[in-house]
Amino acid sequence: MDEQEITRELEVQAGREEVWRHLTDPDRLSEWLADEVSVELTPGGALHVWGSDGERRTGWIEEVEATRRLAFWWQSDHEQEASRVLLELEDAPEGTLVTVTESRPLATLELRAAQLYRATRGSTGGGPTALAGLARA
Amino acid sequence: MPGAEAPDAVFAALSDSTRRRLLATLAQRGAATATELARELPMSRQAVSKHLGVLAEAGLVKSEPAGRAVRYRPTPAPMSEAVEWMTAVGRQWDARLAALGRSLER
Repeated sequence: MDEQEITRELEVQAGREEVWRHLTDPDRLSEWLADEVSVELTPGGALHVWGSDGERRTGWIEEVEATRRLAFWWQSDHEQEASRVLLELEDAPEGTLVTVTESRPLATLELRAAQLYRATRGSTGGGPTALAGLARA
Repeated sequence: MPGAEAPDAVFAALSDSTRRRLLATLAQRGAATATELARELPMSRQAVSKHLGVLAEAGLVKSEPAGRAVRYRPTPAPMSEAVEWMTAVGRQWDARLAALGRSLER
């Protein structure tokens, strides 16, 4: 299936403990993730992220495994779909490998419903095109 | 090619929260039989089968034989918006990880 998911990796010359602090301490997070971050580091804990572009994201922590794994869900004000972020740390020869995976597990469903809604509502306007798109879907 | 009634069938299929949850579970797993889905959801296998039938008629899931059982999988959704999202999110993480690297070098 068409999983909506991206993965990025970064190898850094720092130990897992130090990298973990950068992933979880609001003062460190504000150096790279966003302008300001507040996080309650426990499953179910609240997450607030204010970006430099004025974008605000809110979410909650799913999983915390110190120095290894951090999973959370977040959603910006203008997005209709929450996404899941998983940050994983592994020892690397000269430091730590950071892997981030962001996915939208529910997006396939939401997207299809929204497109069908637009296609039927707009059937007097760009109808044929919209329906052709549906037929290909 | 299905006619203009196809979207109605899809709306009807998705109007039910149980079926939306079923489809979401199926999307997460990739593919599953009714028995497997019934184990994960608070529903009987019979109820799962009935809802899967509605989703299949609407073209939201496809069925395929799996031994004596039938396995279902979600049909691919339109990709354009998904690709757009993945591109944007990928760029955001490129920038964030670069900043993380700089922050750790201090």
